[in-house]
Amino acid sequence: MKRLLCLFLVMVSATAHAAPDKVYNAETMTLANGMQVVVIPNHRAPVVSHMVWYKVGAADEPQGDGVSGAAHFLEHLMFKGTTAIAPGEFSKFIKSIGGEDNAFTSWDYTAYFQSVAKDQLPRVMALEAERMINLTLPESEIESEREVIIEERRSRTDNDPQSLFSEQLRAVLFTASNYAVPIIGWRDEMPLLKKSHVLDYYKTWYAPNNAILVVSGDVTMEDVRPWAEKFYGIIPSRPVPNHIRPVAPDFPAPVHLTFESTDLRQSVFIRAWRAPSYITNKTEALALDVLMETLSGGASTELYQSLVVKDKKAVDVSLSYQGDSRGEGSIWVYAIPAPHVTLETLQKEIENKLRNLSASGLNPKAFMDAKTRLIDSEIYARDSVMGPAMVVGQSLAMGLTLDDVETRPAQIAAVTIEEANAVLQKYLNPDSPAHLPVTGYMIPQEKKE
Amino acid sequence: MKLFLALLIVALPFSAHAAILDIQTVTSQNGIKAWLVEDHTVPVISIQFLFKGAGAINDPQDKQGLAQILSNTLDEGAGDLDSQAFQEKLNNHSISLSFHSSRDDFGGSLKTLSKNKAEAFHLLSLSLTKPRFDKDAVHRMIESNLVRIRNNMTDPEWMNARLTNDVIYKGHPYAINTGGTLSSLPRISADDLRTKFQSQLAQDNLIVSVAGDITKEELAAVLDKIFSSLPKTADLRKIEDVTFTDAASVTLYKQDIPQTVVSMALQGISHTDPEYPAAEIMDFVFGSSGFGSRLTEEIREKRGLTYGIYSGLSEIQHASVLTIGSSTRNESVQELLNLTKEVMSNMTISPITEKELRDAKTYLIGSVPLQLTSTDRISGLMMGLQRDNLPTDYLERRAEKLKTITADDVMRVSKRLLNPQAMKIILVGQPKISDTYDLVKNLPNVE
Repeated sequence: MKRLLCLFLVMVSATAHAAPDKVYNAETMTLANGMQVVVIPNHRAPVVSHMVWYKVGAADEPQGDGVSGAAHFLEHLMFKGTTAIAPGEFSKFIKSIGGEDNAFTSWDYTAYFQSVAKDQLPRVMALEAERMINLTLPESEIESEREVIIEERRSRTDNDPQSLFSEQLRAVLFTASNYAVPIIGWRDEMPLLKKSHVLDYYKTWYAPNNAILVVSGDVTMEDVRPWAEKFYGIIPSRPVPNHIRPVAPDFPAPVHLTFESTDLRQSVFIRAWRAPSYITNKTEALALDVLMETLSGGASTELYQSLVVKDKKAVDVSLSYQGDSRGEGSIWVYAIPAPHVTLETLQKEIENKLRNLSASGLNPKAFMDAKTRLIDSEIYARDSVMGPAMVVGQSLAMGLTLDDVETRPAQIAAVTIEEANAVLQKYLNPDSPAHLPVTGYMIPQEKKE
Repeated sequence: MKLFLALLIVALPFSAHAAILDIQTVTSQNGIKAWLVEDHTVPVISIQFLFKGAGAINDPQDKQGLAQILSNTLDEGAGDLDSQAFQEKLNNHSISLSFHSSRDDFGGSLKTLSKNKAEAFHLLSLSLTKPRFDKDAVHRMIESNLVRIRNNMTDPEWMNARLTNDVIYKGHPYAINTGGTLSSLPRISADDLRTKFQSQLAQDNLIVSVAGDITKEELAAVLDKIFSSLPKTADLRKIEDVTFTDAASVTLYKQDIPQTVVSMALQGISHTDPEYPAAEIMDFVFGSSGFGSRLTEEIREKRGLTYGIYSGLSEIQHASVLTIGSSTRNESVQELLNLTKEVMSNMTISPITEKELRDAKTYLIGSVPLQLTSTDRISGLMMGLQRDNLPTDYLERRAEKLKTITADDVMRVSKRLLNPQAMKIILVGQPKISDTYDLVKNLPNVE
């Protein structure tokens, strides 16, 4: 068999050279019930990360029903018992086999994961599949867990004035869109969450055809496929609604919020614009990612070098783009003024910078360097087991394809400087941006003793 | 869905494995030593290094944060390259180079793609032989640290950490703020940085860990290139071990927030102590494991009093500490404190169950490979072993020792460590409590 094998290898490598390089070399298939399965082989350590991604998140909660946070509350309650497993036993079991587990909720997706020794994979799959349909939601667990999520909100948001202001800025930026509501829920709406809210959401959205299984680590599709069919494949599919993602309205006046507080110690300038996402406009989203890397991808790039190092108007400045969403994305500027520079002056400096860049276009070398960095980062992305599962799962859950993820280096390479200049002028030019920004000032106030 | 249950009762295969990590030791021609895990699966190399004793503990009292500023300025230009040129070379070769300081040590970390390794080694070598400390760059880094502190001053967890540090280490050099203070940072000059750099970063306090796409032979040459022109010996002052008092205390800093951040501290236990393996199991059952731990079960799962409560054992060069951290609405603080003490006492009154013991062992032994899934996690794990003077086969030895621990061993170490009468409690918030407390008006080592 040796000769045949050799021949086969030569053919494979010839094909690999012809085709564009894939980042993860993941394999995919779809079960009969519509559940997508992705396996990302990585044989470095005898471990696997097993993730189930539901293509649903906080932005899919019913709007205007007087409660918020049901998606995240459900994520917590998924650990509170099924027909087969008593409340709280899920995580304890994972620990007892030497594994780790957790879950997280975003606006567009919800994911559950376990990292375990590879020989434990089928047992973990059995458990995860079971809670896709057999959740029991005992009333007593709901009562105490509601207190837990309210404590979680206090820790993350209510205890920190900066977090409270970020929440407000986002709500204003996405006014009248589902993205305006915080994932964890509004402080006064969380206590009103009832079993029915959570159960309705679970019954509406948690179905195999609305979920993606991603397994990364020391396995192949050949290993995973029979277990996927056995545990997930027997769960019946069910129609799920379309995702509603209203576009936030454009208003005639720019919004400016000033937050003065004795709890603050540092002045901060924040500005945000709505922008397309990888789902609403992939070409522009790619150009925006390269644009951000060109202008603000490390201390050697344009914004930091001009505003912080040369002109000394700021102590820090960064520009970032969030394009990973099913609906609209956003662009954020965050800057700290140098001592004796007012926020108004800093704002003018940033606007001038963006105005001049919009007129002159990007420096071609800086643009090429940025593309190289972004392509290199895809090599680093392979250096982990959980990392690739996160990237693949998140992208697919938003509505991208595996091919979109695998060929990202080629897509970045294909972005032209004209495309990057066009999105710069369109979204960040201060004189006629496509969407007016929301601006926030944080200003410390002296404490009166 | 019954079929799932059958699967769960299949016995756990307990696989006896060979070496968990294949660690090689490398010595260069000039005598620089390193630990290496060779791994060519991805074209990435990670080098981590540490200068023992060169951290904040060797900073002058009036220049708290010196080590921190040194860590921020070593990558701000070297040789003929000014800050911008140096950063540009790193950035455009996708090289991550960073330095960091802890209470005890000063360290650095280099991560590069194999294709750019020559440039990466050159830049690291340059930063460790000819750093510039340009006035402009030093000033910029001091400003950015002042911003960090002022931003942190609205974060109650950070505030609690400042206060806890002061309560535990009062009178010892550990009590200083490793990140510096609003008044100490502006006092730091380029000359201070140069002096610390020249006198404390040397070959005799250097440890190096390397993982990834590099052979033993190549590494030996690289070690000389990077480290052999450092001075032979470091000039460090002698530090005494921390002496813990048995006095219980409650310390409060009032902040107008809806939730109180709580921490509790007790004397811990050293890795080298024969009872350490039993203490690891005790800590797991008591609180370090999150879900399933007694603290999480009583305080989060049964009563919904908190989003999280964790215990942890930590060890630095001159002290070992056991801490418990949590947060709860202001009205529930006393209840949380009482319950924690009750859980603590129960650990000392009756042995943990056989199931708790078995599950703790399986996790503490079985979860190690989960930490070995990326190049820098592997070099990082080796760094921790070297820093704590542990042998290359420590992970295997630890597993063997853990397997022999009994529930009685765990109870013995619980009695030794979990003493509510010696506990120091630190609170930030507006707690309603009946315990008497010391009120702190100004956070120590911040302004």
